[in-house]
Amino acid sequence: MNWWKPLAAAALLLPALTQAAELPAGLENKRIALVRFISQGDFFQAYLAGVEAQAEALGLELQVFDARQDAARQRDMLDQAILQGFDGILLQHGFTDSIKDKAAEAVDAGIKVVAFDVDAENEAIPQIQQSDAELARLALEQAVADQGEQFDVGYVYVSGFPPLERRDAVFSEYKQTYPGIREVARFGTVNNPIANSVADQAAAVLRANPTISVILAPFDEFAKGAKIALEEAGLAQDVKIYSADISTADIQAMREPGSPWVATAGTNPAVMGEVSVRALAMLLAGENPGRQVLVPPTLITQQLLNEQDIQNMEQLGQKLPAFAHAEVANPEWMRLPKR
Amino acid sequence: MELQDTTKAFGPHQVLKGVNLRLPAGQVTALMGANGAGKSTLVKVLCGVHRADAGNLLLDGRPVVFQDPRQANAAGIVTVHQQINDNVVLSLTVAENLLLDRLSDGRLGGLLGRKRLAEQAGPLAEAVGLNVPMDTQVAALGQAERQLLAIARALAHQPRLLILDEPTSTLSDAEAERLFVLVERLRARGTGVLYISHRLSDIRRLADRVVALRDGVIVLEQETPDLPRAVQAMLGHGLGEASHEYRRGGRERFRLQQARLVAGAPPFYLSLREGEITVATGLLSSGGMGLLQAIYGLAPLAAGTMYKGGKPWRPRSPAEAIAGGVFMVQEDRARAGIIPGFSLRHNLSLPFLSHLSRLGMIDRRREAERGKHSLDQAGVVYRSDRQPMSALSGGNQQKLMLARWLQQPCELLLLAEPFQGVDIGARRDIARLLRRTADERATLVVCTDLEEALELADRLLVFNHHRLVGDHRGEQLNMEQVLQQIAALPEHIDEELR
Amino acid sequence: MIRQGAIKYGLVVLLVAMVLVFSYLQPAFGSMRNSFIILQSVSIVAILALGVTATLAVDGFDLSIGATAALAMMTSSYVLVVLDGGTLAAVVAALGVGVLVGLLNGFLTVQMRIPDLLATLGVMFLLLGLQLIPTEGRSIAAGMILGDGGSAPGRFSAAFLALGRTRLFGVVPVPVVIMLVLALITWLFLERSRFGRLFYAIGGNRSAAWLAGANVSAYRYGAYVISGVYASIGGILLAARMGRGDVSSGNSLLMDAVAAALVGFAVLGAARPNALGAVVGALFVGVLLNGLTMLNAPYYTQDFIKGAVLVVALMFTFGLAKRT
Repeated sequence: MNWWKPLAAAALLLPALTQAAELPAGLENKRIALVRFISQGDFFQAYLAGVEAQAEALGLELQVFDARQDAARQRDMLDQAILQGFDGILLQHGFTDSIKDKAAEAVDAGIKVVAFDVDAENEAIPQIQQSDAELARLALEQAVADQGEQFDVGYVYVSGFPPLERRDAVFSEYKQTYPGIREVARFGTVNNPIANSVADQAAAVLRANPTISVILAPFDEFAKGAKIALEEAGLAQDVKIYSADISTADIQAMREPGSPWVATAGTNPAVMGEVSVRALAMLLAGENPGRQVLVPPTLITQQLLNEQDIQNMEQLGQKLPAFAHAEVANPEWMRLPKR
Repeated sequence: MELQDTTKAFGPHQVLKGVNLRLPAGQVTALMGANGAGKSTLVKVLCGVHRADAGNLLLDGRPVVFQDPRQANAAGIVTVHQQINDNVVLSLTVAENLLLDRLSDGRLGGLLGRKRLAEQAGPLAEAVGLNVPMDTQVAALGQAERQLLAIARALAHQPRLLILDEPTSTLSDAEAERLFVLVERLRARGTGVLYISHRLSDIRRLADRVVALRDGVIVLEQETPDLPRAVQAMLGHGLGEASHEYRRGGRERFRLQQARLVAGAPPFYLSLREGEITVATGLLSSGGMGLLQAIYGLAPLAAGTMYKGGKPWRPRSPAEAIAGGVFMVQEDRARAGIIPGFSLRHNLSLPFLSHLSRLGMIDRRREAERGKHSLDQAGVVYRSDRQPMSALSGGNQQKLMLARWLQQPCELLLLAEPFQGVDIGARRDIARLLRRTADERATLVVCTDLEEALELADRLLVFNHHRLVGDHRGEQLNMEQVLQQIAALPEHIDEELR
Repeated sequence: MIRQGAIKYGLVVLLVAMVLVFSYLQPAFGSMRNSFIILQSVSIVAILALGVTATLAVDGFDLSIGATAALAMMTSSYVLVVLDGGTLAAVVAALGVGVLVGLLNGFLTVQMRIPDLLATLGVMFLLLGLQLIPTEGRSIAAGMILGDGGSAPGRFSAAFLALGRTRLFGVVPVPVVIMLVLALITWLFLERSRFGRLFYAIGGNRSAAWLAGANVSAYRYGAYVISGVYASIGGILLAARMGRGDVSSGNSLLMDAVAAALVGFAVLGAARPNALGAVVGALFVGVLLNGLTMLNAPYYTQDFIKGAVLVVALMFTFGLAKRT
């Protein structure tokens, strides 16, 4: 009774059948490591999903190291990955100073390295980033389009985080360009749970500064906190939130009836995960993805979400093709994950 | 070495009242004294832990003053304290303990190989016959081995005066004998030894001279030991002068049958009757306390059955004992009685809150009224019942502890050392209070101090090495016999008491 | 007399002074509306602090409350979103988690005799990891993608969200009401009931309480269960306010709650853990943070301020009280 044998054979053959284009020789039986500084939150989950999908599409064996926001641990894990002889390493977030020497060590050991959202200060290490400047610009442009050139801003900001600092730089430019935009209050905290803590702060700020009509939250956890505070204060009609980043939970929050969160600029974190792996694959195949790989963001408004009845990131990708795929680090031979 | 007119007081409490003590070189001086006579204070003055209030300390005829134990050590006065674990560091190894003093004064230099430590420590251990690997952790040693270790460490100092405080209490006969040989060797070398012990056999074996301390004064100094007289002197004069009315018990409230406090001891029978105050005496940890603990549900009897009101009595915790009508006033009230943050009122009501509560909520007015009533009944002197316990003197604290357990009627009231840290006036009050309320219950008290025991007893039990060896009516007390029973040696209990 | 007064009313006077100064500098501060904003912001921390107070009363310590709150938040979100359960089921499940954690802490400290700090530290890590397992480390939100690729069937019900978001009579947020009710219950329990009296007796002198007939083990278990349940109530309110189950350590909650309970020692000269103190302690910190945020003080001053408050309060409790 060997009825199952053909089935098993078919199952084994299946991946082979789906692989259409020929992969470069350098990509066979390669093992890559994802060494992540931070993993908590929707963004990082989606990023990981993208990394996994793209690695699978290319037949790369992936192992994930999670430093859980501990720079020293990330360093140790990087050491481990070098020791274990991975062919490629993908660094996700962290601090330049705590990883750059180890990253250089990896490069010297012949390992291909790419870094996402952290600058490893190494010529041989391509840096993948969402374009934070573009992200901030899209959100601010929408704010100006909606509110005119004259409004008071409550700004949620915490320094010390490079992506936030890059977004902040654009806001500073804007304040120069549009003297009518006034920052009347600046607050923010990264105390866990972030949204809850920011909500408490925002409540105080809104009481103290009744002229605020726009809250600029260049990080979606901040936006969630601001939204809670606005709704609790009954100000959802009068004050609008413009933010950066996007997730399924964010989509739900923006689409709640009467939600003050009207627009966000976001890059699909899954796409960034895919782009990161694609860049690493190009290195493994002996190609150069370039020193910097920027993934362009998309503007997502509450209006758009409602009109298209978009419920989650998946549907956002389906209905907004610009969001589902980025045309970067994508050579001819590349195999994309199935959608 | 010599002490002249030494006095020491703690607060109002005069512990040493002019002690004159000579400790000649090359002789073993045995110090006898009842609990609370001031022995430990005397030792602490000698070894520099306490400073005397007045009097001289002469060393080789020259007066010296020790600021701290280190100076006493340096002068060649070395002490092995009664609490063994005060003498050793549990977390270090045997070798490290033996060399601790050299380690801490840097004589051994900074870097220490394990081998070098063992080499240095080995002979010290050998001298006392301590046969354990040098890198054993002290925490893993038994009590006897720790005691030997403490002695070995003391000997490492080459003492001129060695003070041994109850050194054999945890040693077996063979181990004790080894210690005696050591002491004799030291004596031959001219070292003076102050030997403090309750064990008459030890004293008989070792002592060249005997001194008895009582109430902070040396009451007897013998150049040739005469132990029966020394025991009498140590326990005090005027024994049997008790002046109260003796009452005979009424109905039996509590009974022990075929009871053994430790395995191997002969079983005993004991009936406790209402109205009668029964006091168990004997040397420290001779068995009375074990009996109370068994009745109060803290530790089971080794064998035998207890009956309360004819029914078997097997409490597994104080809570069960209290629920069954057996209450206990604890020894060491600071540790086992008082809740430090609580007011007088709250300390008083603690065991009987359920009587004061409805639906779990305390009726605070009733608590206050009942509390004041109890305090007044017990004659506690206080300003406000909302004061903390620390505002009361020792005697008043003890009265309150007693008042706590007199709030509700009980079958059997147990008291452990009720006169501990209590002045004489309060002692009288407490005895009167106990006697006044004794009618409706049986009362069992443990007092190691014979004089205190006699102050209370309608009936006196004597325990010796966990055996019940005497049961006397207060009015027919033969003091000679009682003393004999208290001090008899374990191996001679049977013959000596016949 | 002055010292007595300082010990008893020092912190309360300071609190009133703070309110006056902030109101002067920023008129919006003193409004009714802002009072409730402050109360709302401290409600969850205060509830956790009440739980810690129960364990402190028996001379224990519960380091796992933050993690318990985080786990309860995840549990209720999981029941609502992934299992598509009802509001009641979500609340009961989260409370059940609190009870279980309390029993576990009790087992480790009472039965296994592990020192409280160590046992609850261990449990803290245990729970931090545990909350990540069912969702493979992802946060829970309506419409989330599950491990099998489908999206989660449930969502946060309106009734559940109301726990965190509704205002009673349009004024008093529900979490504030719950905090006040729990504070009252805890106060009655600790100060007026015989059980609470025994809590303090055990905390003051465990062996004396045992010898006076208290069932010490049961009460210590009880304290940890109270602490666990309170923490899980905090977690439920957190989930209801945020409308999602965020993976988080809850460590800030733990620190704030412990600080509040300790500041509470100094309230009205109690010099011991107490319910009123825990709430006032939380309020103290809340008023400061709210006021400073209104005055646009940067975020990084906040922890510094909290630390300063705690140190000053401890000085009131210990430094001044010692000398009387």
